[in-house]
Amino acid sequence: MTNNLLAFQEYQQAFTAYIRDPKNQPRPNNVAVSRIAVYEEIVFTNLFDAISACFPVAQKVLGIRAWLGLVQSFLRNYSANSPLFRQIPEEFLSFLAQTKYSDTIVLPDYFFSLCHYEWVELAVSSSNKVLDLSLLDSEISVLNHDILDRKIAFTPSIQLLSYDYAVHIISPRKKPTQAVSTQLLVYRNSLDAVKFIELNSVTFRLLSLLCGDETGEALTVRQALINIAEVLVQPEPDLIIAFGLEILEDLRSKEIVLGVY
Amino acid sequence: MAVINSRMPSHALKTPASNTTQQSKIIKGVGIGLKRELIPQIQKAYGQHDIANINFVEIAPENWINAGGKAAKQLDWFAERYPIACHGLCLSLGGISPLNTAFLQQVKSFLQQYQIPLYTEHLSFSTDAYQGQHGYLYDLLPIPFTEEAVHYVAKRIRRTQDILGQKIAIENTSYYVKAPISTLDEPTFLNAVLTEADCLLHLDVNNIYVNSVNFGFDPHAFLRQMHGHRIVYSHIAGHYTQATDLLVDTHGEDVIDPVWALLEEAYTLFGTFPTLLERDNNIPPLPELMREVNKIAEFQARYDQ
Repeated sequence: MTNNLLAFQEYQQAFTAYIRDPKNQPRPNNVAVSRIAVYEEIVFTNLFDAISACFPVAQKVLGIRAWLGLVQSFLRNYSANSPLFRQIPEEFLSFLAQTKYSDTIVLPDYFFSLCHYEWVELAVSSSNKVLDLSLLDSEISVLNHDILDRKIAFTPSIQLLSYDYAVHIISPRKKPTQAVSTQLLVYRNSLDAVKFIELNSVTFRLLSLLCGDETGEALTVRQALINIAEVLVQPEPDLIIAFGLEILEDLRSKEIVLGVY
Repeated sequence: MAVINSRMPSHALKTPASNTTQQSKIIKGVGIGLKRELIPQIQKAYGQHDIANINFVEIAPENWINAGGKAAKQLDWFAERYPIACHGLCLSLGGISPLNTAFLQQVKSFLQQYQIPLYTEHLSFSTDAYQGQHGYLYDLLPIPFTEEAVHYVAKRIRRTQDILGQKIAIENTSYYVKAPISTLDEPTFLNAVLTEADCLLHLDVNNIYVNSVNFGFDPHAFLRQMHGHRIVYSHIAGHYTQATDLLVDTHGEDVIDPVWALLEEAYTLFGTFPTLLERDNNIPPLPELMREVNKIAEFQARYDQ
């Protein structure tokens, strides 16, 4: 990939190698320390600010020294693919998902989940997904038994998330001591505020089936409820339908359910 | 259609390319960078005499492409009211990585969607191939001034212009390290690239000043070497004095007198051109910033006569 470099590119490579890893890479010949230090600082600070803004809790639970070290490791060990600044935190997540970063820093087991959860807020707040309203059914106006064979249209910013830790309650004073399976729904409301709702596992499963998150294709309300009934003890069909409609009505009132197909 | 809830969240609606406005999309006069801190202040003061000298706004495509939610609504608001100039940061025209044509296609759509007539980029690089992997460093790094680099960069600018179907303007960039392998001086390098690429010049007068201090040359002599017929746009800004011989282009201070003098001389030499006040850090309240905007407008009025 870097074979046959032009002379000026050889220099560029040496220049960025030093900026990425000044402790281990040689400074380019005849370049003043005081001058290249400006680039060391602006490149790192720019990255540090862009990443830190997205992970306020993660940096606090880790402590500032370890957090600095982690961002340094990102610069040293990772090649970011996106030119869009908004995607820098996502690049950082990809870096965390690799193994190389652990060269110097031991991270808590819950750390990746916490960072992912914090990143979701940014992703949902800036999501540009749109829903084609013309695909929705025009005749249905109430959530009742008539919608059982329909598919649900959710707000396009919806994210259904399942973590091994209660990421939404982590703080520097409340670090997880054990894994707790946690399901969350995250979405953006009509005022562009990002909202988080904790779900029980049955509701999470129902919504995942209705969104198509599990099977790749969204199920109808009836199909999803039958699926749920199979995993419940003593399923009473009427109760399960009532349960499903109640949840959907609640989500409708929060502008999470927008219609049916 | 449609919908159970009549209170349809507007973010779920498809946004039409805003722009039915009568206002011309030509970039002229004085502009200001669309910083998050300034957006609500401009929205509030819109239409008032106090900010009448803001004629256009500038954005970095890297901050706004594919934005949804609140940011998209803000951009729509501005696109309906102001001409927009696009000033890129990550195209990496001098970079070792292949030109990011997928990104350029996004830029092209973005320019069309918001009817943005001007796209400018830096004569710098922001990508590398560290340990065999192409990656972004999200900053403006200095290209060595060599003949080889002239041809390499000019070719990439031409390719960019072909993809976009329009000319782009290239900004003279501030820098802090002179590459020991450079064989040309900065104005010679810059002019050679502009000529070979047949592109436009985005003249940054603060960068000329910053570099003149950092590398000990006469900024006015530099300015007189510029190809006036290629200038379509300019920047003016403040900088940080780290040492008597080291200025850092922070855009975080007021514009200093020697830089104002350079802008005046540029207008004298080449006539006026649209000029943007860059303020990215330590941003004062809008009324304070307007003093500098108004000063640019006064200069332009004087030299337009």
